[in-house]
Amino acid sequence: MKPRSLLSQSPTTSLKLTTGCETLDACLHGGFPCDSLTENVAESGCGKKQLCLQLSLCAQLPISNGGLDGSALYLHSEFPFPFRRLHQLSRSFHLSNPSIYADHNDNPCDHVFIQNVHNVDHLFDVMSKIESFVKNSKTRLPLKLIVLDSVAALFRSEFENTPSDLRKRASCFFKISGKLKQLANKFGLAVVITNQVTDFVESSDGLSGLRIGNLRCLYSSGRRVVPALGLAWANCVNSRVFISRSDDSICQERREDDERSGSSYVSRRARRRFDIVFSPYLPASSCEFVITGEGICGRDAEKMDSTFLESGMVVREHQIDTRSLDKIAST
Amino acid sequence: MVTWTGLEHFRVGRFNPPPPAIEADDFVYDLRPRWPRGEERGKSPAIEESFHSRRTFMETWRLPLSSSIRGKLISAGYTSLSSISSVSSTDLARGARNAWDMLHEEEALPRITTSCSDLDKILGGGISCRDVTEIGGVPGIGKTQIGIQLSVNVQIPREFGGLGGKAIYIDTEGSFMVERALQIAEACVEDMEEYTGYMHKHFKASQVQMKPRDILENIFYFRVCSYTEQIALVNHLDKFISENKDVKVVIVDSITFHFRQDFDDLAQRTRVLSEMALKFMKLAKKFSLAVVLLNQVTTKYTEGSFQLALALGDSWSHSCTNRVILYWNGDERYAYIDKSPSLPSASASYTVTGRGLRNSSSSSKRVKMM
Repeated sequence: MKPRSLLSQSPTTSLKLTTGCETLDACLHGGFPCDSLTENVAESGCGKKQLCLQLSLCAQLPISNGGLDGSALYLHSEFPFPFRRLHQLSRSFHLSNPSIYADHNDNPCDHVFIQNVHNVDHLFDVMSKIESFVKNSKTRLPLKLIVLDSVAALFRSEFENTPSDLRKRASCFFKISGKLKQLANKFGLAVVITNQVTDFVESSDGLSGLRIGNLRCLYSSGRRVVPALGLAWANCVNSRVFISRSDDSICQERREDDERSGSSYVSRRARRRFDIVFSPYLPASSCEFVITGEGICGRDAEKMDSTFLESGMVVREHQIDTRSLDKIAST
Repeated sequence: MVTWTGLEHFRVGRFNPPPPAIEADDFVYDLRPRWPRGEERGKSPAIEESFHSRRTFMETWRLPLSSSIRGKLISAGYTSLSSISSVSSTDLARGARNAWDMLHEEEALPRITTSCSDLDKILGGGISCRDVTEIGGVPGIGKTQIGIQLSVNVQIPREFGGLGGKAIYIDTEGSFMVERALQIAEACVEDMEEYTGYMHKHFKASQVQMKPRDILENIFYFRVCSYTEQIALVNHLDKFISENKDVKVVIVDSITFHFRQDFDDLAQRTRVLSEMALKFMKLAKKFSLAVVLLNQVTTKYTEGSFQLALALGDSWSHSCTNRVILYWNGDERYAYIDKSPSLPSASASYTVTGRGLRNSSSSSKRVKMM
């Protein structure tokens, strides 16, 4: 048993995975840390899948650019997997980083491994195979990122609300978390887990409103929410970030009259917010961002006037324009 | 049967007289040879008191004490009154210590500051050495921050009022971030330099020798990934600390993580945990260091409702000397002394800043005594 020297890395910071967005990176002091479990809590439609897809691609960046020079394993438990969105992001990623793929003639999608998990037992099965996968893989880039999307969906159907089932569920949380942390420590992986939210219901013992972290209450879409899976799961992760959206739009509404179909639509951008709920090394901070065709971007004042292809909130006033439905990603 | 030593004693005249012809009703004839203790070693055999007088033998037996105490005195060899009176009370108690001595010893023990004066006040000066302190709270309240702060503060040199020791940090969760430790170490060195500036006339000669990187070097960091590793490490700590005598604090962050997984046999878990707790207590007493165990909270189903409690169950709650609970009160972080043999119940607020743990800025919410 020998202690690990803390000064073995220089500079003395742990490796971070960039999110691809400068504002988020600034909030996270570089990105998501390696050898650590980060939980991403958000309501559906807030952009957590976008962030996960973007991370799987950014993992392939070289370390000097903030990536991990590795491939990603995407474990998804919710259907359907957004393949089209992944291809769309992958195309723009390839265009902006041709040097990584030029020598080997592959494309970013080759380095994202997708595995679906149905339930908790299946997840344990898959995790036991990850170690041999990492050791024996003949892929060009070693595995450096595991994304689990989402952990709440795994537990939705199997466990009742009785104390004994809740205890069993809690011990499953610690098992999953322990195994993932062990893998992260052994191979230096970054692990990102997404979680859902449930509505806040005031209960008599006041425990559902227990404050965990920097934010007194978590609000999304104008209502108060709590992260799913409760206090037990909160003890299992190292950091938690909260993505929320509010219904009020960001300043401009632009009316565009489409000459051909005669429809006019208003594009409203929902404000999306990124908060640090708790983290062992980050101060409490938050920032705002938007989701575009290229992925997640920080909200920049100058970019407000330029035209963007909004892949999220496009509100139509008159008729449904079927052309635009393809542009909306499934979140 | 008379043994060899018995023969020697017989030759010098130490033997019981033959039993009398007429026995008294309550006469107890004890066949075990008993040699007198105390001052008899210094005297010559001629004037040594012989124990063979039935009266003196019976003296201890006739004392107005309970029979168990008499039995213990006789089996220890104090058969005559003079042997008991010649011996001091501390020797009679076989090495028990005087409460006065213990008090002076305890007051002389240094304490590790938490860098937050309110917290230090309710802790009686800081985390005490030779004690096991448990600190628990919800995620995000600052347990890891306290752990890192203590592992830096234990290294403050004696000239600045610290212990000048090293730290062992056992990380079971992977929450320890080197850059955060470096940040806190830099702030600590800056504070020490500021202090030297104030005390310039006294500390003219000694500049702050420590650099933040030195502080990081003096933290022995262990990462454990399973409960078996944790148990093995705790067993190994005795040897490790004997080789690194200047370790003054052992921090475990957190003690519970690996024990909340599938433990089929809860009784076994309790056994393993109490063994671990005992080892920590022995380490604390043997090497005079502080042991800080960080714990998580869980909901406990009592009296028909769910309440917050520290994890690992009721039996674990007896394993630590002191217990501090961290909680949110409005927008402020508070620490509350839940269990302590000598400190009164009190709560104090603190904040976690970029420089580490500090007093909270609002002066109205200070130390509250219960």
